[in-house]
Amino acid sequence: MKINSLSRDQILQGLVTSENGLAEDEARRRLAEFGSNEITETRKRPLFLRFLNQLTHFLALLLWFAALLSFLSEYLLPGEGMLSLGIAITAVIFINAVFTFIQEYRAEKALEAMKKLLPFNVQVLRDGKQRDVAAGEIVPGDVVILAEGDKVPADLRLIEESDIRVNNSSLTGESESVPRTTAPCDGEIINSPNIVFAGTSVVSGSGKGIVFATGMRTEFGRIAQLTGTVTPDLSPLQKEIVKITRVVTAIAGVTGLFFFTIGFLIGRTFWDNFLFAIGIILANVPEGLLPTVTLSLAMGSQRMAKRNALIKTLTSVETLGSVTVICTDKTGTLTQNRMTVKKAVNIGGEATSGNKPFSPLAVAYLCNNTLEVDGKLKGEPTEAALYRAAVEAGGHIENTRIREFAFDSDRKRMSTLHRIKDKAYVMTKGAPESLLATCTRYLAEDGVRLLDDKIKEQAVTLYRSLMDEGLRVLAFGFREIGEDEQIEAKEDAEQGIVLTGLIGLADPPRPEVAEAIKKCREAGIRIIMITGDGSRTAVAIAREIGLVRAEPTVVEGTEFLRMTDAELHDVLSGEEVIFSRMTPKHKLRVVNVLKEKGERVAVTGDGVNDAPALKRADIGIAMGITGTDVAKEAADMVLLDDNFATIVNAVEEGRAIFENIRKFITYIFAHLTPEAIPYILFIVFRIPLPLTVMQILAIDLGTETIPALALGVEGPEAAIMKQPPRPLTKGLIDRSLLFRGYIFLGLIGSIGVLAAYFHVLYWGGWRWGVELPMDNPLARQASTATFLGIVVMQIGNVFACRTRTESVFKAGMFSNRLILWGILIELLLCLGIIYTPWGNRIFSTAPVGVDVWLLLLPFTIILFLAEELRKYFRRKRAAGA
Amino acid sequence: MYKKILAAVDEHLNSEVAARYAIHLAKACGSKIYICHVAAKREQRTAGRDAEAAASRLFHRARDMGLMVENILDSGDPVERIREIVQSEGIDLVFVSTRREDMQKRFYSGTIARRLSLGLPCSVALVRVVHLGRIHPKKILVPLKARTSHIAERSFFTAMMAAAFESGLFLFHTTKPMTSFFHGEIHLAPVELEKKLPADISHFIELLDSYAVSHQKRLVSGNTARSITIEAAAKRFDLVVMGASERSLLRSILEGNPVEDLLRETPCNLIILKARHEDK
Repeated sequence: MKINSLSRDQILQGLVTSENGLAEDEARRRLAEFGSNEITETRKRPLFLRFLNQLTHFLALLLWFAALLSFLSEYLLPGEGMLSLGIAITAVIFINAVFTFIQEYRAEKALEAMKKLLPFNVQVLRDGKQRDVAAGEIVPGDVVILAEGDKVPADLRLIEESDIRVNNSSLTGESESVPRTTAPCDGEIINSPNIVFAGTSVVSGSGKGIVFATGMRTEFGRIAQLTGTVTPDLSPLQKEIVKITRVVTAIAGVTGLFFFTIGFLIGRTFWDNFLFAIGIILANVPEGLLPTVTLSLAMGSQRMAKRNALIKTLTSVETLGSVTVICTDKTGTLTQNRMTVKKAVNIGGEATSGNKPFSPLAVAYLCNNTLEVDGKLKGEPTEAALYRAAVEAGGHIENTRIREFAFDSDRKRMSTLHRIKDKAYVMTKGAPESLLATCTRYLAEDGVRLLDDKIKEQAVTLYRSLMDEGLRVLAFGFREIGEDEQIEAKEDAEQGIVLTGLIGLADPPRPEVAEAIKKCREAGIRIIMITGDGSRTAVAIAREIGLVRAEPTVVEGTEFLRMTDAELHDVLSGEEVIFSRMTPKHKLRVVNVLKEKGERVAVTGDGVNDAPALKRADIGIAMGITGTDVAKEAADMVLLDDNFATIVNAVEEGRAIFENIRKFITYIFAHLTPEAIPYILFIVFRIPLPLTVMQILAIDLGTETIPALALGVEGPEAAIMKQPPRPLTKGLIDRSLLFRGYIFLGLIGSIGVLAAYFHVLYWGGWRWGVELPMDNPLARQASTATFLGIVVMQIGNVFACRTRTESVFKAGMFSNRLILWGILIELLLCLGIIYTPWGNRIFSTAPVGVDVWLLLLPFTIILFLAEELRKYFRRKRAAGA
Repeated sequence: MYKKILAAVDEHLNSEVAARYAIHLAKACGSKIYICHVAAKREQRTAGRDAEAAASRLFHRARDMGLMVENILDSGDPVERIREIVQSEGIDLVFVSTRREDMQKRFYSGTIARRLSLGLPCSVALVRVVHLGRIHPKKILVPLKARTSHIAERSFFTAMMAAAFESGLFLFHTTKPMTSFFHGEIHLAPVELEKKLPADISHFIELLDSYAVSHQKRLVSGNTARSITIEAAAKRFDLVVMGASERSLLRSILEGNPVEDLLRETPCNLIILKARHEDK
């Protein structure tokens, strides 16, 4: 038996306490045993260790190694600028570590927001006397006194009450206050009307309760614990960066070793080989990868902010692009949350007008908790809509409310007791299937008649037809209370009800949603609707907005609770799935199972109890307008307009960012071939050294950095939302990227570079077999031509990499201004390196004539046009497929 | 297997709650129950009085449930005296509650709970009580690990706990995610994890089936302690029953200790069984 099903005496025995509360000594002892009544963070690694982690992950270790090699090179070969490089790499490591650490730290504020929902002080009975104690000192067994306006400090079992009503919205998401009782009841603690939970508040009345759970063991603490414990996995991008780092490490290591061995075999000195191997390794280490990715993400998040999606964690920007499933609420996200009464009908299906006794609208007016304050309606949207319609139909009804049996999700109805003139009545409203079970009669044109099976069938058909129109349908009933009749419990009231009719309410879909859903469909993203509405209403709305086309799999809340995880796995494999009559607490389970299936999940939420699911999902999306602070803190993204279409826009941006990262990786890889091939020729054919280590570094860390960054701000290509989400197995680097970068663009670039190199050598009088040391002016000019060749080819390359399949002419040749700035800076740097004594000294360069520039120009144009041709054939092949 | 069960009580409410679990288990196993309080030399008079009152309440409760029950009130070093009682009475299982202060000590070094669990010649059930609203568990979570000892006793204990409270059992196995150097973490669906179910766990399930106890199972990959905590909190389990850690001190220092982590952060009551009955 659980605490909710125990009698008053059993509670006192079980918790070893009394109605006078605990003795102070015992309370102290229990405080030591059970700990403070507070929301605490789950034990995490200390801050300094977490910061240290940012300095010791694989990429950081690789960069440390690169920095170490730079310092070693400086020691072995002073004055070559390697010290500056080592310092620069170290700075990159620290900047990245600080940036990531701040991001992580900021993301953990959800629990702070939760703490604000608990009180500071509370009235308790200790040794039979009322005391004001700090809420943190409350212990199991304490008797807490509750009054109107109090925040509840812990989970309490009520033992006394006087018309007490509490607002459980922090736990259930339902904003309407509910009454509490002291009577024992079975079932789950969370649904028990005799329990008052921590983090909720007393709206009216008063009571006394015995504490049975404190701090993190309360229901509220459970949400806090889940929110704090469920840590999202590494984002897909973070995983990709780990993979790339490892691949690059392998390539750098193998290449370095290869050139070292070759150099050794052809008789170069050990230190020459060693320094060259270091240069090759450093050239391969992606020093600029993290800053470039981070900047690209930051720019993406700015673009998203302009489209009403506020990104809280930067990596989420890209994660959005990889999402395969979006679990979304209906009300307010897919729909406008503007509930209006569309139809009020009697059992015959005829429209009823006015609110004469006891039409559905009259019952809707009476059985209603909406308040009219300064001409504005305050209350739950459905109730407010009913109230408004009833008043508009026939004005106010004179009555005195005697009592209320609040709505609860188990019986799915609410009832109120009224005195109207000299008679007392029960007014009931609720889900049709639930209310029908209490009805024995119905209101016909000519009076009250017996509700036989045939009429019941008729009522069922009627409400189903209304639900099929996408309306949220409620049934209404009443009965007169006999003069001697005593109504103590809801069961007494809710029997022998006269069914008076049905009301259908509509919450129109947001106009942009249908188009957004179409986009998702084309983009291969599944949308799972999770709603508190009934199945038929949910399906009808889903059909209206294009969310479902065939017969969807519909799972109701009760069925969901009975399902095993294996069954839920099967259900979630369906193409079109709708969860109806669900509460936010179920979302976490749906998200968990989807993630186990390997899906990348985005989930929407607004309540405190949505926080664990928001944290667990790959992308937690909180509502900016209706969302609680806790939900916003737990989420990765906040929708400033609560609109589903904004999520889809954000997904589009996310996909564009992934593509942009691929673009600049392609761009970076494309120069590695023209760097490597001349060196291989140098080794095999003993030609003069075509490129020095410092020139390689000048390209990798200097000239091409800004253009690479500029690729990070490219907008989405037109076809980006017409492709399925990338599979888990598809990474940033794949065969097609390697082919495009290293082979296709790399080889064309190499031809241009070698043409410039040999042009300078031949025009300078060099012939095959003649060795030129690096201090020879011609050798310097030749290597400068190679360096310039790579820089100029990268200009054509940056334009070529702007799109993956779309023609750059179509995208707008000069639409990305940052690229133009990038090229300008690249050229200025290049001029500085080639045409200044400072550049010549550090980078072993020598000025080259304008003929070299003119020779390179056609090659870079050829590279760009060849890539355009490749894209054309690719588009053609895709269209054919 | 358990003919005689001893529940150690002191002045703390936790120990009384732990003893209630022992009484129910004794009822399910048809065992004799001993309620034992050993007053330490420095124990305050009020504490001793409270402990004796608790023992008295438990005695009456056990008797009302139709059990053979015996109260033992003694003084001296609790660990030493309980060891003597276990030996002289032939006790099979001792229930002892952990205290919050124990959680604050790394590896519980020097705590009574640790001394009892290591020093007694019989099996020991360490009970961590954190929630007083769910003393009669309806949903018990049973985390299982790959290499485990005393499978027969653990399955018997688990089955009897379920029988004692007519609870549903949920078996839960967490594995470390598979990784490769170039591909990082490799995602495995539950069906694939099922194929990798360790033999010890299959054996445990077979034994459970022999007691005709209904159960569900769930396999996930991830951090063990965190996964168990999330599962217990998310699905509102009333009780977690698991085996004691078999990690060495060195391994615990290097890799952490899931049992220790769970003792600190469990969202519901927790029983850790240090089994001593050898598998046949």
